[in-house]
Amino acid sequence: MNSKRIRNIAAAVIAALALLGAMALPAAADEQGDAPVLSIGWAQDPQTLNPFIGLDEEDYTIWAINWDLLVNFDPEDLSPAPGIAESWKVSDDKKTVTFKIADRKWSDGVPVTSADVKWSLETLGSEGELFTSYTNNVTSITTPDKKTVVIKTSKPDARIVGGLLIYILPKHIWGKVPLSELTTTYQPSLPLVGTGPFIVTEFDRGRLIKMDQNPEFDGKKPKFGQLQFIKYGNQDAVERALQLGEIDLVPEVQASTFKRLGEQDNIKTVDSPSPAFTELAFNLCPEKLCPDAQVNPAIRDLPVRQAIAYSIDRERINQIAASDTSFVANGLLPSYYKSFYEDPENTYPFDPEKAKQILDDAGYLPGDDGIREKDGDRLSFNLYTRTRSESAYNAQAAKLVAEMARDVGIEFKVQEVSVDKLTELTVRQVDGKPAPDFDAFIWGWGGDAYDPSFLLSLMTTGEIGGSSDSFYSNAEYDKLFNEQSGEFDVEKRKEIIHRMINRLQQDLPYIVLTEDPNLQAYRTDRIANVEPTCPSGDGDIFCEQAGYAPLLDLAPGSSSGDEGSSGNGVLIAIIAALVIAVLAFVLIRHRRRRDEPLEVEEETLEVEEQPDGTDGEEK
Amino acid sequence: MSVRWLSGKVAAAALTLLFVIVFNFFLFRVMGDPTDQLARLPRATPEEIQKLRGQYGLDKPMLGQFTDYMGDTARLDFGISQRSRRTVTDEIKDALPWTLLLVGTGTLLATLLGSWMGVKAATRRGKHSDQALLGFNLFTYASPEYWIGIILILVFAVWIPILPSGLQVTPGTEFSNFFSQALDVAKHLILPATAMTLMLIGQYFLIMRSSMVDVLTEDFITVKRATGMRWDRVVNRHAVPNALLPLVTLSAIQFGAVVAGAITIETIFSWPGLGELTYQAINDKDFPVLQGTFLFFSFAVILANLAADCLYFFLDPRVQGR
Repeated sequence: MNSKRIRNIAAAVIAALALLGAMALPAAADEQGDAPVLSIGWAQDPQTLNPFIGLDEEDYTIWAINWDLLVNFDPEDLSPAPGIAESWKVSDDKKTVTFKIADRKWSDGVPVTSADVKWSLETLGSEGELFTSYTNNVTSITTPDKKTVVIKTSKPDARIVGGLLIYILPKHIWGKVPLSELTTTYQPSLPLVGTGPFIVTEFDRGRLIKMDQNPEFDGKKPKFGQLQFIKYGNQDAVERALQLGEIDLVPEVQASTFKRLGEQDNIKTVDSPSPAFTELAFNLCPEKLCPDAQVNPAIRDLPVRQAIAYSIDRERINQIAASDTSFVANGLLPSYYKSFYEDPENTYPFDPEKAKQILDDAGYLPGDDGIREKDGDRLSFNLYTRTRSESAYNAQAAKLVAEMARDVGIEFKVQEVSVDKLTELTVRQVDGKPAPDFDAFIWGWGGDAYDPSFLLSLMTTGEIGGSSDSFYSNAEYDKLFNEQSGEFDVEKRKEIIHRMINRLQQDLPYIVLTEDPNLQAYRTDRIANVEPTCPSGDGDIFCEQAGYAPLLDLAPGSSSGDEGSSGNGVLIAIIAALVIAVLAFVLIRHRRRRDEPLEVEEETLEVEEQPDGTDGEEK
Repeated sequence: MSVRWLSGKVAAAALTLLFVIVFNFFLFRVMGDPTDQLARLPRATPEEIQKLRGQYGLDKPMLGQFTDYMGDTARLDFGISQRSRRTVTDEIKDALPWTLLLVGTGTLLATLLGSWMGVKAATRRGKHSDQALLGFNLFTYASPEYWIGIILILVFAVWIPILPSGLQVTPGTEFSNFFSQALDVAKHLILPATAMTLMLIGQYFLIMRSSMVDVLTEDFITVKRATGMRWDRVVNRHAVPNALLPLVTLSAIQFGAVVAGAITIETIFSWPGLGELTYQAINDKDFPVLQGTFLFFSFAVILANLAADCLYFFLDPRVQGR
C-alpha cells in the first residue's frame, strides 16, 4: 500500500468524523423555544388566512382560534356565550337586539370597539364567500357609542344571538384595504391581529402555520406556548406521524384507520358527533314545478319511501360502511344540536316485514324477477353516489342500501359518479326551471355550530332552485320554519323544531342514514387534561371550528417536547458503521487487486468464451 | 453541417413544445367547466357563478379564450391558482427547488451506482455476483416506487426510528445557522432520495451492463489486452468511456421525465415539490395549477431531450461527421 493511498483514507476518515460531530451538535442548538408546543397534523391546510376568500373547512380551525364572534359558543353545550359582546338584550318585538361590547383589546393593543363589529358584520357579512347568508334579515346596524351595537332585523331572527357566524375583524387594519383587494388577492400581514388566545405568526402555505400566544388576551392563560399546524402529503402520513410522536394531535382521522390507531400505545382516539349527516335523498319535485325532471314517478309515492325506510338497517350501514365510527341518525336534525334535538315520533326502525306489508297494501306486488310493480310502474330506481375515491363511505352505503331494499322487492341501480356530475344532476335546469335528473342519491350536508336553521332550511320551498336537492315543498313546514327562526326562547323553539322534524319523518324527502362523526386522535403522553367539549361529555378535543375555550385547558403531557432527538444517536452509529464498512471494503479490494493479478486473466477469458450467454434476457 | 443539425434539433423541440401548449389548452377544456364544482357551494347564486366564470374568462368564445391563453403562456403567465389565489408561476417557483434537490440527488446516485454496478456485472458476466446484481436491479426496477417508499418508511421510521417519515425540515425549528438547517434537510432527504434512487437504478444498471457487454466483445478490447495492458485498466480507460454513451442520453432524458415521476414519492414523503403540488391540484380540481405543472413537465422533458441530443453531439464524433 503506498503512502498516497493511506493519506487519502486518513482524509476520508477525518471528514467522516467531522460530519458526525456536526450532526450531533446542531441537535442541541436548534431548540424550539421554551414554552411547550402543541403540534397538530393535517393533510389539507388553509390556502389563505383571508376570510373573504377562504373556502375550506380547515380555514375555520384557524379563524376560530384567532378571532372571536360577536357571540361565542359555550363549550358546555354550544349555547350563546359572551364573545366580543359581553351581554345583549332582545327588544319586545324581537326585531332589535342591543349588544354591549366587552372591554377587550386587539393583539396589537388597540381597543375593540363597536366600529369593528359594525364593519365586520356589514363587510364580511356581505362579501365573504362563506358568510353571506347570516345577515340577510338585517336592516340596520348602528353604533350609538363605542361600546354599543344595535342590530335591527326585518323580522325576528334568532340567529342574531348564537347564529351570527361572522368573525369580528379589526377595522383599523382590514378597513384600510380596498374591497376589491379584500375579495381577491389580499393576504393579511402577520402577526394576524386578533382577539383569540393564539394568533398566527407564521403562515407557510402547504407546510406550516404557527400560532403564538396573544399578549393582549385577558382570559385564562393557555398552558401551551405555541400551536403548530403541520401539513403532510396525505392522511396516512399524518396518522403515521402521530404514531411516531412527530405530532401530538390529529383533528381529522380516517374512519377506516380510526380503530387501529386507537389501539396504539400512548394514543387515544375521540369519536364525537358533528353537525353533519349523510342522507338518502329522493327526487320529490312535483310535475308542476319541474316539468322536465327525469325521474321514476313511483319514488314520489309515499308508501314506497316508507317501505324503503323500514327496509334499511341504519345500524348495519354504520357498522360496515363507516367502520362503526358514525352515529345512527333519526331524522334531519343531528343529535349534536343538543339544545334543539328530540327523538322524532317515527324513527323507522329496521323492519323488512313491515316494509313488505306497506308495499302489499299499496298494491305493489312482486313481478317475475322479484321486483315489485303496480300498473306497470316498476320499483326500480337509480341511486347515485360519490365515487369510492371521493367517499368510500357513501359508495359502500349505497351498495348496502341497494342490497337491503332488494330484499323487500325494490331495486336500486347504484351508479358512482364524481361530485361534479352529482351536482350537475341535482341542479340541472331546463328553460329556467329545475329539472333534476335522478331518483335517489346518497350525499351529505353540514350545518352551523349552534343554530340549526341552515340544515332546516334545506327542506323549505324557498330553497328550491337554491340548496334544496330533494325539492320538497310543504306549506306547514315553511310556516314552522319561519316561526322557529324568529323564536329566541330555546324551549319554545325546540318544540317547533320537533314538529318540523316529525313532519319530515312523515313525508320522507330524506332518509338520514347516519350523523357524521368528528374523528380525532391525540398522544396521551403529550397532551393532558383532555375533556371532550362542544358539547361537554361527548364532544371533541378542542372544540374545533367553534371556539377556543377548551384549548386553554389542554396542558403539556409527561413527555412533551422531546421529539425525535433520540433517533440521532442511532443514526450517527449507523452512518459510522457504514463509513467504516466502505473504508474496509476499499482497503481489502485494493490489496486483493495487487495480490492476485491472475484472477483477472480468467475473467477476461470468460467474457470472450461466452459469446451470447446472458445477452438476450435484458432486451 | 453541424450547425444545421443542431438548428434542426432545436426547431423540432420548439415544434413539439408548441404542439404541447396547444394540446394543453384543449385538454383542460375537455375536462369540463371548473365552476361546476362551485355550484354546490351553499348559496352560490347563478349570478355569482356567472361572475366567477367572467373572472376566469370562461364566458368568452373558444377562440378568444385560446388567444388569451397563448398570449399568457408566452408571457409565462399561467394564471392564478383557484385555491390559493397566488400566481401559478409563484407556486411552481416555490416547489421547483425541492423537486430539483430530490430528483437531482436521486438521479445522480442512481447514475453513479447503477453504472458502477453495470460495469461490475458485465465484467463478471454469468458469475454469481452478476446474477445477484441482475436480480437486485430487476427487482427494484419492477417494484412500484410507492411500495418502495412505504417499505423504507416502515423500516427506517417505524421499526428502527432513526429517520423522519416525511416532510423536508423539522417543522417549526428555529435554526441557529445555515449549516444546521442544511443538515436537517439532508436528514429528511435520505429516505425519499433512496426511494428515488431505487426507482431509477435498475434502468441505469441494465443499460450500462448491456452496453458494457457489447463493448467488451469488440475487437479493440482484445487488441488492447494483447498489448499486455492490465485488465482493470482496459476496462476503466477503454471499455467504460465507450459504453457510457447510451447512459448519458438516458440520464439526460430521464431527468426531464423524472421531474414529473416524483409525484408518488413526493406525496408519500410529504415532500413539498412539484409532484405534491400536482397531486394537491388534482384533488382540488385546481385547473390553472394543473395546466401550469403539465406544461412545465412537458417543457422539462423536451428540454432534457434536446440537452441529450446536444450532449451526444459533443460526445459522439459520429454525429458530428454526419
